[in-house]
Amino acid sequence: MGRAGLLLRLAWRNLWRNARRTVILLLAVTLGVAAMVFAAAFSRGMVVAMVDDAIDHLPGHVQIHAPGYRDDPAAEHRFPYPQGRLRAVLDGPLVAAWAARVRVPVVVASEYDTAGVTLLGVEPRREAALAYLGRASVDGRPLADANDAGLLIGRRLAERLDTVRGRRVVITAQGADGALADRGFRVVGLFRSPWSSEEKGIALTGLATAQRLLRLPGEVNEVAVRAADPERLEALVAALRAAAPELEVADWRTLSPLTHAGQQLYSQFTWVWYLVVFLGMAFGLVNTLLMAVLERTREFGLFLALGMRPRWILGQVWFEALLVLVLGLAAGNGLALALARALGEVDVSAFAAGAELAGLAQRIPLIIHGGDLALANGLVLALGLAAALYPAWRAARLAPVRALRRN
Amino acid sequence: MPLWTLILVLLAFPAAAEPDAAAIVRAAIEHYRGKTSWMRLEMVVNRPDWERRLRLEAWTQGLDRSLVRVLAPRKDAGNATLLVGDAMWMYNPRVNRVIRIPASMMNQSWMGSDFSNADIARSDDLIDQYEHRLLGVERVDGHRAWRIRSIPHEDAPVVWGFEDSLIRDDYVILEHTYHDQAGVLVRRLTAREIGELDGRPYALRERMERLDKPGHWTEVHILEARFDRPLPAGLFTLANLRNPRP
Repeated sequence: MGRAGLLLRLAWRNLWRNARRTVILLLAVTLGVAAMVFAAAFSRGMVVAMVDDAIDHLPGHVQIHAPGYRDDPAAEHRFPYPQGRLRAVLDGPLVAAWAARVRVPVVVASEYDTAGVTLLGVEPRREAALAYLGRASVDGRPLADANDAGLLIGRRLAERLDTVRGRRVVITAQGADGALADRGFRVVGLFRSPWSSEEKGIALTGLATAQRLLRLPGEVNEVAVRAADPERLEALVAALRAAAPELEVADWRTLSPLTHAGQQLYSQFTWVWYLVVFLGMAFGLVNTLLMAVLERTREFGLFLALGMRPRWILGQVWFEALLVLVLGLAAGNGLALALARALGEVDVSAFAAGAELAGLAQRIPLIIHGGDLALANGLVLALGLAAALYPAWRAARLAPVRALRRN
Repeated sequence: MPLWTLILVLLAFPAAAEPDAAAIVRAAIEHYRGKTSWMRLEMVVNRPDWERRLRLEAWTQGLDRSLVRVLAPRKDAGNATLLVGDAMWMYNPRVNRVIRIPASMMNQSWMGSDFSNADIARSDDLIDQYEHRLLGVERVDGHRAWRIRSIPHEDAPVVWGFEDSLIRDDYVILEHTYHDQAGVLVRRLTAREIGELDGRPYALRERMERLDKPGHWTEVHILEARFDRPLPAGLFTLANLRNPRP
């Protein structure tokens, strides 16, 4: 058995000389690490859910518009329904789903009130594969096809307009030619959405119906695209730009900068959380080790008097810290993983309004990511050992005579 | 009543039968506007705690051209509205600007009254956006009066479930009511004084009120009118809206 083995054995025995203290310290490390890993899983889940949600409602990873539309979303900023090369890319392997739509601001009026909303002319079959609203649960009937002349509005919009399913409302808009475009629509269904802005501010009808109303034959204002591989948006954006150089192609980071900023913020925040938990843990560790060193002053004095090198004393204390950290990390990771597996996801729908305000989803999956795990463990181990250096150094620097004389 | 309308009505219907409801509505609106018209009128906007009086001058030509100018009070004088077809412009002399009323503002109140911009702009919609049905014939002040129900077409830009009008046999509209789609009466236009204007029977005083908002009504009182006189060329133009020629 080498010198390290001896020191390790001494450290192990010393740990259990005061079992209660060690258990408390272990518990602190375990809980600290578990909190770090769990928080990382929650934070990652939150970001993933937030981005997924945003893409479901935006919708799509990438959107195509005519130049000028994003600054002034008017009917006149339109382009032909995808065909030729653009259609080939959209139907190609880079794209999971796409939908073309008419999307314009309109005023919807009932007998009692009016509201400004966004009118979407959609192809129901394509929307269902792409966006939340294409699949939203509808009280009444959903849209059948692009020629459907019925109107779907959100539940809250219906409340505001004091109208019900089966009644007619009037939609007034500016047509693509700049002239007034209006007609009556029968409300065939009311949809629900976890995003109240959608329930208050969106009306859907068939694409062809909207094109007739706004005098946009065969034209659309927007194509939304869901990527086959969300991690490789650049390739998709480049392919779409090459296929339609006259149009504006933008990915969700550009279209929803707030979501992108949120994603960045939460990743940064994980670091802050790590640091806070670690600081608490480090003080416990250093304090306990200092205590142990103090109690064993006479013992260390004896070791030194018998000829043990100060380096070894340092190693002994350091090994103690290492043992505590390794045991605590193992237990902490186990606890966090078990908890994450048992919960699966966190339901925050009780705080739906607040969650919506923060742009968060209502169900947050807990995602254990290898990188997060390695980072938390590595951080605790490295910084923990660094922090343990101070008590170890104190023990190693004792003067044997003075140490032996102390009670 | 214009002669050709009379001929049309007579041709379309055997003497014994009542005339067609749509023809009555058309005749009433044409009677109301004339081929051309010029009027001076007073508009009173009443609210539960205040009242506003405006003096207006208005010109119309056919069914789709109108110009309205505010004469008094001084702070509003010079404000003007021009309608050509579906398009509507307003001129405000204080900012010296002509604003085209966008689609989004068509449902808003016209000059703070109980008429919406759409009411002003779409006065002729009643003719072809609805299905008209004769509900019955009544006797009012020694006249026969037709009660007609107008139901908007499925895709007509009309929010009402139906509108009922009571039209006297000399084509004066006595009452026009707006019902929501459950049949509840929401808005009502009533002729409160009928007399003669420039030789034709006419509603001199009309009131528009909302039944869901008690105390909210607007009354239009016609002071003076001329019908079917030639109007100066260039009256219904943006240039004239901004710089009125006397």
